[in-house]
Amino acid sequence: MTLVESATTPHRGSAPMGRLLGAELRWVLRRPRTLVMLGLFALVPILVAIGVVVADRNGGGGLIGAIAGNGLVLPVAAMTLMLALLLPLAVAMAAADAIAGEAAHGTLRSLLLAPVGRGRLVVMKAFGVLVVAVVATVIVAVVGVLAGLVVVGGADGTLVTLSGTTLGFGEAMGRVGIAALWTVGQLAAVGAIALAISAFTEHPLVVLASVLGGLIVFGVLGAIPALDWLSPYLLTTGFSAGADVLRDPMTWGDLGGSTLRALCYMAIGGGITTSRMLTRDA
Amino acid sequence: MFGKTVAVDGIDLEVPTGAVLGMLGPNGSGKTTLIRMLLGLTRPTAGTAELLGHAVPDAAEHALPHVGALVEGPGFHPFLSGRENLRRVAATEPLLATKAIPDAVGTALERVGLADAADRRFRGYSLGMKQRLGLASALLVPRRLVVLDEPTNGLDPAGTRDVRRIIAELHAGGATVLVSSHLLAEVEATCTHVAVLQSGSLVASGELGKLLEAGTGGLVVTTPDVDVALEALRGVGATAFREGDGIVVSDGGPPAPEIVALLVRAGVAVHEARRRRARLEELFARLTEESP
Repeated sequence: MTLVESATTPHRGSAPMGRLLGAELRWVLRRPRTLVMLGLFALVPILVAIGVVVADRNGGGGLIGAIAGNGLVLPVAAMTLMLALLLPLAVAMAAADAIAGEAAHGTLRSLLLAPVGRGRLVVMKAFGVLVVAVVATVIVAVVGVLAGLVVVGGADGTLVTLSGTTLGFGEAMGRVGIAALWTVGQLAAVGAIALAISAFTEHPLVVLASVLGGLIVFGVLGAIPALDWLSPYLLTTGFSAGADVLRDPMTWGDLGGSTLRALCYMAIGGGITTSRMLTRDA
Repeated sequence: MFGKTVAVDGIDLEVPTGAVLGMLGPNGSGKTTLIRMLLGLTRPTAGTAELLGHAVPDAAEHALPHVGALVEGPGFHPFLSGRENLRRVAATEPLLATKAIPDAVGTALERVGLADAADRRFRGYSLGMKQRLGLASALLVPRRLVVLDEPTNGLDPAGTRDVRRIIAELHAGGATVLVSSHLLAEVEATCTHVAVLQSGSLVASGELGKLLEAGTGGLVVTTPDVDVALEALRGVGATAFREGDGIVVSDGGPPAPEIVALLVRAGVAVHEARRRRARLEELFARLTEESP
């Protein structure tokens, strides 16, 4: 076998998908701003834990109040808290860099000229955004569990549910896992919409501003009683469903409903992204 | 695409296989737009483009693996080193086997003289180094066509020589090269064919030598005996006139060997006789200033 034959494989129109995804993964996880952001995210559950311990004497209500003396509530509370703005911010940033950022750097052109097929490019980019969503959520969940056990402590590694019953450590971890999975689903919906916006611009800031602005507008619309009919269509309506994993027995209604809604947003975002990328100039 | 601006219009140009085509034109004449259409980055509103026998942009994926391109300046990520940037590009190259990537990247970096700076961040590269890295990414795989849009932009004289050498190597290896440039000396030194664009239209194209010969012809004879020479030539009906330190004999009269023989017989000291070729610069100026 000659050198030329071993170095090239002539009958292929595109690089292997696994290699493309690997390259995207390395690129996403080496980006300094992603790393800094993930590091800061790890601090949030710790800060919440410290806050709860300091404020413990005064007592408190709601999800945060439930953390007091009940550390395993912390990861779920942290994820729910951060789903409001911080986690979507991370996903929007990843999506902004994924297409708009590449276009701004002139690297989208290299990808299209390689060629990475335009359909494959969308898959590659969606994968990168999903990775950020998963990593960010897992970091919050894991640090939340650790901070809950170490800083807050209490209940001997068991979880006292919002319904007042007690779950063992294993089942508590299962509940945290369900909450994390559900959170990733919601983030994937945000990411799909962000990617669609990213496909239309070469200014990453436009993506960031649109997604955060959109979340705020959705939140406001959802809070207006006269617009009740609108709330089933708003992604943010289901953002509080994560706390349902802390009930005993678990209620699946809101978790399932919000996941279904997230899937609809993903389909819409994915469709728009794909149709735009198939014809986009670079 | 460009709003109401017509960037290129009615261009019919064929690049012969194995040629080094220099694309010339003033700023904004449509060179880059034409290249972008050829590579499938921009969809023309009318007309067709074909790349290595495949229609673009619809069947571009069959041709693009064999095409290396540096278009509109080098595009890389500032937070990665030159080598890492190139590896990322290499990972997307269909013709590159996974295990061959590190070697291909190393070879390409050496070829453009960037081996020493390969592990520095792209952020800190000079304009010329960025340009070299862009060139390296076009050379990752043996190509059938290499498209270089203003390759010598920002390069020092050594870099310009390197580009010239690389183009010559590609040409020797049988690849077709398409270079756009506004550096006429560059094109004259490296290209076999030229195409001249002006306001989005093709005003001239063809083999460089033929284009240069057409137009300003004539035989230039360097001699101290101008008067004797003019008299002798007028005697046989040839048109000749004094120019510089010699004479110019216009085409249309006797062929060159006869003219030289005649002059020598007349006792004229012929120091040098050569066909007059226009410099590319004159040709370019004439072509781009004539058209409206």
